[in-house]
Amino acid sequence: MLFRQQALETPHGDLQTPVLFPVSNIGKRSSDNTPEYTESVPDLSTAMVNARAIRNRDPQWERFEDGTPLREEMGVSEDTVVFADSGGFDFQDETVDTTPAKTLETQQQIDADIYGTVDVPLSRDNRQAENQRRISESIDLALEASRRHNGDEVLLGSVHGYDPETVRNSIQHLEREGDFDGYAIGSLVPIRTDYEKVTKIILAARRATDKHLHVYGLGGLTYQPLLLYLGVDSFDSSAFIRSAGNRNYLIPGFGGEPLKNVEELSHLPCACPVCSTRTFKAVRNDRDLLVQHNVWALALELRRFRYMAAADEDLEAYLDLRFAGNEVTKRAYRLAKQQVRRLT
Amino acid sequence: MSDSFTISDEQRDYSTFGLSGNPFPYSPVPDDEPLVYCGQEDVTDRISETVSSVLSTGKSKHLVVTGKYGNGKSHTLKYTRSLVRDREDVLVGYVAQPGDGFLDIYHEFVYDIGFDRMQELSYEFLAEVARTETDRNPMGASSMKSLIDDGEVLLSDLVPTAVQRLSDVTKFADFARAIVHLIYEDTNLYAWQWLTAEGLRYEQRKEMEIHSAIDDDTSAVRAFTALKNMLLELGYTGVFMFVDEFERIAQLSPKDEQATLNSIRHLMDQNGNGLCILFGCAPEVWQDVMSEYHAFSERIGQEVALQPLTEEKVHTLVEGYLNLVRENGSEGIEPFTEEGLQVVLQRSQGNIRQILSICSRVLDDAVDDHHSGQIGEELVIGTLEEM
Ligand SMILES: [Zn+2]
Repeated sequence: MLFRQQALETPHGDLQTPVLFPVSNIGKRSSDNTPEYTESVPDLSTAMVNARAIRNRDPQWERFEDGTPLREEMGVSEDTVVFADSGGFDFQDETVDTTPAKTLETQQQIDADIYGTVDVPLSRDNRQAENQRRISESIDLALEASRRHNGDEVLLGSVHGYDPETVRNSIQHLEREGDFDGYAIGSLVPIRTDYEKVTKIILAARRATDKHLHVYGLGGLTYQPLLLYLGVDSFDSSAFIRSAGNRNYLIPGFGGEPLKNVEELSHLPCACPVCSTRTFKAVRNDRDLLVQHNVWALALELRRFRYMAAADEDLEAYLDLRFAGNEVTKRAYRLAKQQVRRLT
Repeated sequence: MSDSFTISDEQRDYSTFGLSGNPFPYSPVPDDEPLVYCGQEDVTDRISETVSSVLSTGKSKHLVVTGKYGNGKSHTLKYTRSLVRDREDVLVGYVAQPGDGFLDIYHEFVYDIGFDRMQELSYEFLAEVARTETDRNPMGASSMKSLIDDGEVLLSDLVPTAVQRLSDVTKFADFARAIVHLIYEDTNLYAWQWLTAEGLRYEQRKEMEIHSAIDDDTSAVRAFTALKNMLLELGYTGVFMFVDEFERIAQLSPKDEQATLNSIRHLMDQNGNGLCILFGCAPEVWQDVMSEYHAFSERIGQEVALQPLTEEKVHTLVEGYLNLVRENGSEGIEPFTEEGLQVVLQRSQGNIRQILSICSRVLDDAVDDHHSGQIGEELVIGTLEEM
């Protein structure tokens, strides 16, 4: 069993892990707004922002430079722990238009607690030589960030690779040549349906370091329990916003259900503050409410897992039940279990 | 000796003969690592000369060892192999028989080398690249592996360069990719399958960006040559290939036989350096090859023939085996007598395989019948009548 609970020291307080960072769309020119959730979900005082997007949105950036605090701009509470990634995912098809220096400056300016280093994500469609080049480039950028960073904030080296050796080797290399508080695995979103590969990569990373391990982009309902099981310390997700955009109602254990498929119902089956007091129609017709419920769904999934651990329940047996209903995720979990057992 | 002998060793007590067991192989198949070799001087001289010439000049040289069934061709090849295999500067592979053509020969050769050794070569090549591309100085496969495991070098820096350089050296980019993929746990079995010409599905090849397959004699010659060129680049002196039971090509259709010989000829032409092939072949088949395929036989001008053993050789052979299990101070051919061995020689007509088989049975019978002292004429004849 690789599940673990730690405390991560940040400028805005100690963070109990494992933890989810809901992705905030601040800085993006997007019609979807992240609702206020850090007040209503007490154990979710966390947010993931995109440093590059914030920096590139001029009027907003000017406000930050004039002294407006990010947390105020986002409408989240003062003690929210903010993870600012570099926005590397936006470089999927473009060349890198930022530097470690510029990214660090942005991360500092917005008072982020956790810094992700600048990275160049991989694509499954790339030639291998191109992906190898990107892997090396991300490592160089991370090492430069390590040299430049000397603050109290948590610095996570971004690591990419589509095979266990590369990920292990990259982490060992960063560990040897740089000074990081932990590592963050990227580029897994494009291969997320290949559960076996993703599991192997995460396990390789988990074995390569005892430090904080973050996985980018896979914190949705399906992956969350798997990541917890594999000993990942933090993860992020934008699934709650994207799902709400499609009028999808997230239910732990089932995934997302388009509400348009649901007829004639007085109340939804969830006990969160959004659903428990409102009618089905009210939630269905208000996208903000849907987003809020979806955040709750993710938070509840995490809570349930933590509860099972705290109650000293057999987590593998719990996950057997958790994944029983879906052939795909059941298979994924079985693969993960085999691999974990081989290790321990 | 093979493990299967141990059981009968426990059942029978050879101590009355001053022996800890029966040293003669029961099985007619020569041991993979023969401990005793009763060399015929002209044969060992010619083999030594061929092997030494390749080792000292780096120029390719090949030899055919002919001999009738049971006269020790396989034994000779395997014994030579075990001697050459101990050297660190050569790669040695044994092919038990030529199969249906060069593709099969290639397959057996790579298979005999084995996955672990091939993976080591992959790491050795990465080490070669690391020595020029980084300030590290790994001297072999295991030090390269620890550099990677410890993160002292970056795989992502080395791999593209390694693939490029290996492609330049081998002129076979797919081969280069397969070699490098031997170090990745996700793909190493696919890479191995490809390298052994076992065939791979499209998706499996795609994962490694491999576009072709080793699926005929031509591509097998190309892959073999690529492997040899990689080894020369790594500082190896050469590759030794032992092809046993070459007479089986006579069972192929004339077209396939010609194709096989042509492929081997191409292989020899493309590998003027660093290649030594030793064939074991029945004399009559080799004579046919010589007369019908001049282009082929010209390239293996050398032939050396194994003869039936003489009395003196039989002594040396039997003594060699007995010495493996001596417990008291006895020597020579004891417990066999001169007369006893005479009978063995006559009955076997000097055929090694038969000599060993008779000696083995005689010794066991002597123990079973509670003889002690010497094994003479009478005892041998008695056993032969039962065989
Ligand atoms: Zn709800």
